[in-house]
Amino acid sequence: MSIHIHNITKTFGSFNALKNVNLEVKTGELVALLGPSGSGKTTLLRIIAGLEFADEGEGKIEFHGSDVTNRTAYERKAGFVFQNYALFNHMTVAENIAFGLRVMKKPERPEREDIDKSVTELLRRIALEGYGGRYPSQLSGGQKQRVALARALAVGPQVLLLDEPFGALDAKVRKTLRKWLRQFHDETKVTTLFVTHDQDEAFELADRVVILHEGHIQQIGSPQQLRANPTNEFVADFLDCVMI
Amino acid sequence: MAAIIDIHPAKHRTRVRRATAESAWSRWLVISIAVGFMGLMFVLPLVVIFQEAFRKGWDGYIEAFDDRATMHAIWLTLKVAAITVPLNTIFGLAAAWCVSRFRFRGKRLLTSLIELPLWVSPVIAGLIYVLLFGAQGFFGPSLKEHGIKIIFALPGIVLSTIFVTFTFVARVLTPQMEAQGQAEEEAAMTLGANGFQMFWRVTIPKIKWGLLYGIILCNARSMGEFGAVSVVSGHIRNKTNTVPLHIEVLYNENQFVPAFAVASVLTLLALATLILKTLTTTKRGAA
Repeated sequence: MSIHIHNITKTFGSFNALKNVNLEVKTGELVALLGPSGSGKTTLLRIIAGLEFADEGEGKIEFHGSDVTNRTAYERKAGFVFQNYALFNHMTVAENIAFGLRVMKKPERPEREDIDKSVTELLRRIALEGYGGRYPSQLSGGQKQRVALARALAVGPQVLLLDEPFGALDAKVRKTLRKWLRQFHDETKVTTLFVTHDQDEAFELADRVVILHEGHIQQIGSPQQLRANPTNEFVADFLDCVMI
Repeated sequence: MAAIIDIHPAKHRTRVRRATAESAWSRWLVISIAVGFMGLMFVLPLVVIFQEAFRKGWDGYIEAFDDRATMHAIWLTLKVAAITVPLNTIFGLAAAWCVSRFRFRGKRLLTSLIELPLWVSPVIAGLIYVLLFGAQGFFGPSLKEHGIKIIFALPGIVLSTIFVTFTFVARVLTPQMEAQGQAEEEAAMTLGANGFQMFWRVTIPKIKWGLLYGIILCNARSMGEFGAVSVVSGHIRNKTNTVPLHIEVLYNENQFVPAFAVASVLTLLALATLILKTLTTTKRGAA
């Protein structure tokens, strides 16, 4: 599923978090939103998920051609992975993963056995078989991150949004998870957008990188394009390469 | 603890001593003041209550409850608590939700209004309702016209009890909900949960111990409230006397054993509250 962002502006009080942002993410693409803190990248991600609403006006968000601008988060059902995982601490790992399936309305909701089956399958996929009965507090950061991902994927989202997915992890775990995510994306081809402030992460993972600064998109391009042709001073400086 | 009696003078220089350590003498003084105060103010009255209640033995104690007015007072108090506590649980939840989840104008004002019952005298709280709904009050004439009785009746008692106790649930929950943030609720929403499912499956389990703690406090206060209820109730025996008011009546009539026997029931409620409060605090700490 593709995502179209048309002319989105967002202000918090007098602070302009996003200014006329336009972006298109193609079906099956893996795109990184890269920028320093306070650049508006998380706000943009939250607006796409429906956790935040853009200022009223000409702004529009489309999921695969249909306008979702005024839809709530639970209607949009974009898979969202939070920076600090936001796992349900009072539920086991299996219950966390099953949550999205269990809250479905009656006709769509799978049978209990089918839910159990998908949970087992997802646990295998994130290499946490046998961890279903544990509680989030008994997991390491990397394990929590994978559970958060499995939970988001359980409902079969058309779009996956990740907010600093590896931000709170140590360098070694980060590297492994990065590879794992790329591989996972290549297998499933779910349209994925992730936020990061780490350019290595963005360049290693993403098909295209969007550079944000002070609420403006500075440049969009593949890692090669960006390195070769930074459009402005900020991009060149941020990517630490020389402007030609 | 830094030892004061040092039997190894040679090691004197290397002895570890915290900068904040007090002398043994001052420590003793502080501890005895604290323990003495507690004993005098809390333990002694507790002992006296039970001693007086059982002055005529177990049979005398039981006999004290074999009285229509006493049973009516207990029943009325239970009724008041049964109405007040659920309502204040809902008010408290709503208030804590508003304050912790939304930014809006007048939030500061709302926060201080929630604490109002703590710094307004209960007597004033009762008086407000007399001035509003009493016979000479603001709404008095029109209420009389419709045959509605609020003051010197159950509605007045419930209203003033609600006023005095509405702070507890909100005050316990607000800081807790602020600290927990709403990431889990947002996660539930992106997973397709509607507001109802989010509230019951995510929010309530997150705050349940704090909520229980607030409810326990609210209940204890609503059963024990004297001042506010005293103003609006009119002390009508078998009609508007709650347990605390009834104790006063019994005491003033020199019926000491019944007075202390009924008082012992409130005391037991307080002790049970204390135990439950300790349990929920530990649970809250662990959660």
